Amino acid sequence: MFLAIKEIKHEKLRYGLIILMIFLISYLIFMLSSLAVGLASENTQAIYSWDTQKVVLNKNSNVIMTQSVLTKKDLKNAKIGKSEAYVGQLGMVVKHKNRDTVSAQFLGIKKDQFIYKEQKLASGRKAKNSDEVTVDSSFKNKGYKLGDKIKLNGSSQKYKIVGFVNNAKINIAPIVYGSLSTWKKMRMAAPNVVTSAIISKNGDYKFNHRNAKTYPINKFISKLPGYTAQNMTFELMIGFLFVISLIIIAVFLYILTMQKMHNFTVMCAQGIPSKTLVGATVSQSIILVAIGVIIGLILMWITSAALPATVPMSFTPTIMISGTVGMLVMGVIGSLIPIRSILKVDPAKAIGE
Amino acid sequence: MAVIELKNVKKVYGKGNAQVEALKNINFKADKGEVVLIMGPSGAGKSTFLTIAGSLQKPTSGEVLINGEDISNFSAKKRNELRLNRIGFVLQAYNLVPFLTVEEQFTLVDKVKKQNNLSRDELNDLLKQLGITDLVKKYPSELSGGQQQRAAIARALYANPEILLADEPTASLDTKNVEEVGQLFKDLAKKRDKAVMLVTHDPRLEKYADHIYEMMDGQMTQKK
Repeated sequence: MFLAIKEIKHEKLRYGLIILMIFLISYLIFMLSSLAVGLASENTQAIYSWDTQKVVLNKNSNVIMTQSVLTKKDLKNAKIGKSEAYVGQLGMVVKHKNRDTVSAQFLGIKKDQFIYKEQKLASGRKAKNSDEVTVDSSFKNKGYKLGDKIKLNGSSQKYKIVGFVNNAKINIAPIVYGSLSTWKKMRMAAPNVVTSAIISKNGDYKFNHRNAKTYPINKFISKLPGYTAQNMTFELMIGFLFVISLIIIAVFLYILTMQKMHNFTVMCAQGIPSKTLVGATVSQSIILVAIGVIIGLILMWITSAALPATVPMSFTPTIMISGTVGMLVMGVIGSLIPIRSILKVDPAKAIGE
Repeated sequence: MAVIELKNVKKVYGKGNAQVEALKNINFKADKGEVVLIMGPSGAGKSTFLTIAGSLQKPTSGEVLINGEDISNFSAKKRNELRLNRIGFVLQAYNLVPFLTVEEQFTLVDKVKKQNNLSRDELNDLLKQLGITDLVKKYPSELSGGQQQRAAIARALYANPEILLADEPTASLDTKNVEEVGQLFKDLAKKRDKAVMLVTHDPRLEKYADHIYEMMDGQMTQKK
């Protein structure tokens, strides 16, 4: 550590440039990870807020709730207890004469079931009548207020916003919670249609029917439109960034080690143990990565605070820790590559040089 | 007992037709308090002799004794420890670590060798003797050739070795500095009780030597 710190302090420009590279990479990793988590969260916020374990959908819906319809006949033998709730989902456009138009997801729910009962309101109250709705808090950022009367899908019927709900997004769209009867009306569903899905908090819940199938939550989420492709794209980019950081650290340290080989030879001739020289190289790598990552964390924190709430970015402690640990691991692996050269130093070469 | 002794040491490089015998049956010894010069032209085997005497490499055959202990078959790790504890090197290009100040060169020794280094007072005396007391905060690049040479000597002696090996210590010094360095090595041998071995082709150092060995084509003969 002594040699590592002294050399970094003495060669400020050289090591400053390496730190700059590491900082830029770590900043990009934090940025992409935050976006990935933010977008993933906006896909699934509501589902997780309900503590969903199982989802019952129409067997032919391709595990997509908006494409699913369950009728009275399908649900004849379904057990709907305290842990189950009907949800009717429909994509729609929210309009108000003085506000921005918002693309949203309408979720019809029943007042006597847990999703309605456990709604976490940021402000206002729960909807009591079928002409009242509660909406995601993000509507506030677009100027919507309690008491606003909105139109859904251009219908003449107006719905009054009576509450703002936390964590109410699905498929990267804010949710408008209304009654199941409103959903049926908007969907122009046949009289025998009951819901799009049954959401269950019970991990053991199972209801299978000729037209209905129970899916575990992970399967349901992976089938959300675009969710898996989007996450895989981000994972691929983040993975490549880690590999790039590994290569940069390894190449820089290798070049620096080759340039310092004369010093290592002399120190080895003087009896400085190889483990000290190896330790200096590894700790130098850790110090460089740590400084770069800390600067990246600080800038990322400033960035996430400065960006508007509409940007789906979620800079969580998990991202901070996993990004930092990942970069440090890459740094250590990168520093191991030049170590072989250090261990092969021939001290006899110090004589006559 | 001699502090360092080489008995029938041979060193052969290469194999078959490319085989070169760099050292041929070398017999040598040096005691504490002595300055011993090993002289000879380039290619005579002086550097090979120094690497074997300094336990930087093993001889092909023969014995290398340090205080009577044969070190010729020591592992790399044990030879490393031996160099750290008992042999000080002053190399041709002075070879101070470029990113450490003179003071930090000693700190590096402290980091790897916890005991039997010079005390603060002893170090101050040595720096005073070498005339570099005011230079301890400077980096090697900020020192002249002569000052770097002295700093390298101080570092070699800081670990308190019994043997000091110097490779062409006057290679890039003018006559005035050669005189000073020659006298310094003599003082170090006499006053600090070290065995000082200087590998050189500089005849100006002869007057400071207790013994002079001459090397030619891998063979060593004692001149003085």
